[in-house]
Amino acid sequence: MKLRTLGLMAGIALSAMGMAVPTMAQTVIKVWSIDGANSPGIGDTLSAEFNEQNTDIQIEYRILPFDDIVNEALRAFATGNAPDIVSLDNPDFALFSSRGAFLDITDRVAASEIIKTENYFEGPLNSVMWDGKLYGVPKYTDTIGLFYNKDLFEKAGIAEPPKTWAELVDTAAKLTDPSTNTYGITFSARAGEEGTFQFLPWIQMAGGSYENVNVPGAVEALEYWKAMVDSKSASQDVLSLGQWDSTGTFNSGNAAMAVSGPWELDRMSEDAKFDWGVALLPTQTEGGPRSSALGGFNYGIFANSKNPDDAFKVLEFFISQDERLFPDFSSLPARNDIALPETGVALKDAALKVFQEQLQYAQPRGPHPEWQKISKAIYDAMQATLTGQMSAKDALDQAQATIQGIVG
Amino acid sequence: MSRIFNSMRDGKGFDLILVGAAMVFLLALAGLPLVYNVVMSFQQVDMFTLGSLVRPFAGFANYVAVVQQPEFWLVTKNTLIFVFASMAGQFIIGFALALFFAQNFPGASTIRGLFLVSWVMPGLVVGGIWSFILAGDYGVLNAILKGLGLTQATIFWKSDPNFSLWAVVIANIWLGLAFNMLLLSVGLAAIPRDLYEAAELDGANAFQRFWTITLPMMRSTIGAVLSLGLIGTLQQFDLFPALTEGGPANTSNVAGYWAWQMSFQLYDFAKGATISVMMFVLVLFASVVYVRSTRHEVRG
Repeated sequence: MKLRTLGLMAGIALSAMGMAVPTMAQTVIKVWSIDGANSPGIGDTLSAEFNEQNTDIQIEYRILPFDDIVNEALRAFATGNAPDIVSLDNPDFALFSSRGAFLDITDRVAASEIIKTENYFEGPLNSVMWDGKLYGVPKYTDTIGLFYNKDLFEKAGIAEPPKTWAELVDTAAKLTDPSTNTYGITFSARAGEEGTFQFLPWIQMAGGSYENVNVPGAVEALEYWKAMVDSKSASQDVLSLGQWDSTGTFNSGNAAMAVSGPWELDRMSEDAKFDWGVALLPTQTEGGPRSSALGGFNYGIFANSKNPDDAFKVLEFFISQDERLFPDFSSLPARNDIALPETGVALKDAALKVFQEQLQYAQPRGPHPEWQKISKAIYDAMQATLTGQMSAKDALDQAQATIQGIVG
Repeated sequence: MSRIFNSMRDGKGFDLILVGAAMVFLLALAGLPLVYNVVMSFQQVDMFTLGSLVRPFAGFANYVAVVQQPEFWLVTKNTLIFVFASMAGQFIIGFALALFFAQNFPGASTIRGLFLVSWVMPGLVVGGIWSFILAGDYGVLNAILKGLGLTQATIFWKSDPNFSLWAVVIANIWLGLAFNMLLLSVGLAAIPRDLYEAAELDGANAFQRFWTITLPMMRSTIGAVLSLGLIGTLQQFDLFPALTEGGPANTSNVAGYWAWQMSFQLYDFAKGATISVMMFVLVLFASVVYVRSTRHEVRG
């Protein structure tokens, strides 16, 4: 009897050992993202944590530079070596989803306990949709608003941030002071995605869209931008500065206002030695329609993934950690069901509230498979106008003709 | 059998092996990519056909589309200005420096060696440095110009369409200067001293000596320097992303950077290939001119 129990226990122990060391090979899920190149990011941290859980799925994580990830993914897909999951900037997403390079996960998400479409802001969700189907899940999001230097406003006797475009131009002129090297405003009108990111909201506020850029209000907006550069209320270097460098001049007190996004909050809390705040982007007329840019990344599963079910499990794990996005990684979740915890830094918390409100109005760029060409038409028009090569009307008409040729 | 083997060790067979090895190397590493590029410029390319060789034939559609781009003529003009201005600047200043250091004052060769620092540095680093120097509001060059009282207004080197291309030209001249100087110095050193002594005895002044001895004796060196300069300048890429990104409004965009933008920013690989084929034709034309102009002086 005793011997029997012992044998039984030995049997149990043996089978338990067999379970602990799976005889079956593990599934490897390849994940590509830009996170973790300089400091721990979302993709690398969560992948490492997932692997520590020791399930029969292991993530093979790869960091790619921002400038290369789309090219690498394109090439990998074309040669049949695509990863299972990739995280892309949202305007690049449609390049893949529209051609069926990403897996249609509509049904999987409908059955999922963790990913629920109704929890997402409309803009981010639209950026992963194509033709009514769901091809991915938003990872995090951001948008732009108007930062302003409260000390300089007070000194100039201006009570509150501008509400309309005309007010913005006026306020910028009033705040400009060459004797102290202070420009009224700074923004980024760079020849690249950042330029379109900053200007497209103005087209949208005027009732236009990326498919319809030469509406009268958009021409007016571009003329206002030109007026600010011409009158030296904004430095001519807005034409070549990216958002990070442009906002740097605000932080050092050399610009009284800056159009930029929540990714600045940490640096600004450290660098800016003055009282500052954030306002919603001014509208064309008082109380007019609002809009803003939608930034942020999305996850997609490649259509030729060999283990789509396991890849989806990994995706579910990533999304299940969304509550940590802001506290751990300073990124805003693209969801309306996650309240951001207070950071304890008063200026930052106030700014976050404004950005959360601005996010309601954020519209995605596209989605369109040839977004990069549409974007180029828009920033080319912006640059041609600001350098005085073309009038705002002619430049936007030319952009419209180019875009018409792309969207058909 | 042994005759074939012998000829392979020493004889016609050996020559054939040498030529063959060189040709295989050339074809595999230069020919195939070139042909691939040309083929691609006549095809429709998208993400599904990116990895295959056989794609839908597009005829001259890509070429027509490239020429019809609104920025096409601007980029062409910029490319020509960039190439000629950079080459002229590099060559003239490089030649002047080479002549200067040929004077053999104490430390001449050491200081000449130090000049190579600019050539050794990677283009992106040079671009980064010049980006600081040429910045608008807080740029070093602007501070110097204002300090000297040459200008009161801030010159936005990188953002003003009148200056943006020249900003890249200045940086490129600085980058290629030392290389030009070094090659020209070598050429200068090879000219026999007694030619100058004889000319001096005959009463030739410095300018006459330069014009009738230095320049003719340097002809092949100058030809080589200029053709290398042309290739180096057309290849120049790093400075553009570091300085102006081709902007504002394409006023500093050149063919090489434009081709890269098409392929790797707009993901239009066919147009990118088309632009580089057009560039290749330009280089081929320049090479033919160079070869023809130097052919008659090849004497044993």
